[in-house]
Amino acid sequence: MTTTRRGFLIAGGAAIALLRATGARAQQPAALVPGKDRLIVRSPRPINLETRLGDLTAYHTPDDVFFVRNNYDAAPIAPAQWSMKIEGEVDNPRVLRLDDLQKLSMFTQDVTLECAGNGRSFHKPRASGIQWENGAVGNAAWKGVRLADVLRLARPRPTGRHVAFDGLDRPPTPQAPDFIRSVPIWKALEPHTMIALEMNGKPLPHLHGGPARAIVPGFVGSASVKWLERIIVLADEFDGFYMKSNYTAPRADNDKEIYSLQSLEVKSVIVGPTEGAKLPAGRTTVWGWAWSGEGELTGIDVSTDGGQSWSPGTFTGRWDRYSWRKWEAEWDARPGAHTVMARASDSLGRIQPTSRTFNRLGYRWNVIHAVKVDVA
Amino acid sequence: MWRSLRPAALLAVTAWMVLGLRLALASAQNTPIPQTPGWELVMRCVICHSVEVAVQQRFGPRGWSDTLDRMIKYGAPIPPEDKETLLVYLLRHYRDPAGR
Ligand code: HEC
Repeated sequence: MTTTRRGFLIAGGAAIALLRATGARAQQPAALVPGKDRLIVRSPRPINLETRLGDLTAYHTPDDVFFVRNNYDAAPIAPAQWSMKIEGEVDNPRVLRLDDLQKLSMFTQDVTLECAGNGRSFHKPRASGIQWENGAVGNAAWKGVRLADVLRLARPRPTGRHVAFDGLDRPPTPQAPDFIRSVPIWKALEPHTMIALEMNGKPLPHLHGGPARAIVPGFVGSASVKWLERIIVLADEFDGFYMKSNYTAPRADNDKEIYSLQSLEVKSVIVGPTEGAKLPAGRTTVWGWAWSGEGELTGIDVSTDGGQSWSPGTFTGRWDRYSWRKWEAEWDARPGAHTVMARASDSLGRIQPTSRTFNRLGYRWNVIHAVKVDVA
Repeated sequence: MWRSLRPAALLAVTAWMVLGLRLALASAQNTPIPQTPGWELVMRCVICHSVEVAVQQRFGPRGWSDTLDRMIKYGAPIPPEDKETLLVYLLRHYRDPAGR
């Protein structure tokens, strides 16, 4: 017992010594991640940074305000040093380097990434995990190769029904679970599922998974594993903490059973006007973004009276199969206090709800976004 | 001379230690945590992740106890008597009355 206690003390002391050594630098939140100082720091280690809603003004979210969600941090790796294994249910296991991928046909698409826990902080009681508000979402142009083309090089067997991604991020101790996520084979082979090498026209930044990450459009962000180092073709869904425990929610038809999250929900956010805004009376534009995971957006309704009456808004501007869409609605604002709301619907028959049943891990938050404004 | 130096030296060492701890705290987080009994035990959490990961949560007794058990399984250096102290600390400051 005494020796174990001593061990504990030594471990604690070592941690504090380590912190003391790095203390001066880390004290400056702005220096935590150079170039990302506009983001809200939800956690410095692992790095979790949230975008302010007011910074989501452009269709392509610039890198410097794009949210960061790390389950664990990874050490930066030089592109020339990078390689990735493909193994498991394959006839031709491979180790691929960047130039192997660059020989495949490249394509670019706009994909909206949203963390499965975006909006978690609005659950009551408080749900477990990073307390995101609305800003764990962003839309970028991703350039890379089709995962299907990469997998083909390894000749998957018919027994391969799931594809797991493992990144260079490591848990802090061997007892802690590695961050590994799998997707079903239908999604892995879908032509939009890719290994991305570029984001918004530049080599993929380290914080966003560079040199190479998965992009699984329409699925919760955690499927798009960063810093890929290993792809495993499996007969069954990957059996690990981040598939069977985290990133799960109770089934709608039977809440005794849980499932591993796949598609994002249909969802919209209001960017303008902002919460608490004071507006002059008269015509104004209510606007924001809407997205929908595996579904395609079919409508956006806007209310300016707290949800009593709704009228259709319009989608506008450019979009892609798995990107968000800008929406807007004209509003002739009369003096007084108003609650502005937006409600998106999609081709899967889904519509944003007015409430969400509590789930312990705080996922699936797509409750109608409401913004209070004063019109003078 | 020794007589006058010793308390001063002791004071300096104590000050350095307190300062060191505060620094450690500041470096692990952006917002300080309340320094009521048990707060130093939270410094053991930063072996693996920032204090923020812990203190942005609000749980009930079961929620915090289960979380600490999971951390211990991962190798967190928290013997049973310290777990009790931590639970009291966490429930004092980071409790959701409606939480599990
Ligand atoms: C040995 C490493 C280790 C130590 C020490 C440690 N943790 Fe953790 N902690 C983890 C890992 C790994 C995760 C992520 C996996 C998980 O959530 O189970 C985590 C996640 C968490 C979470 C987030 C849970 C969620 O739902 O997102 C909380 C809260 C937490 N830790 C609290 C603590 C507290 C409080 C302490 C100190 C008493 C502590 N941890 C010490 C490894 C550790």
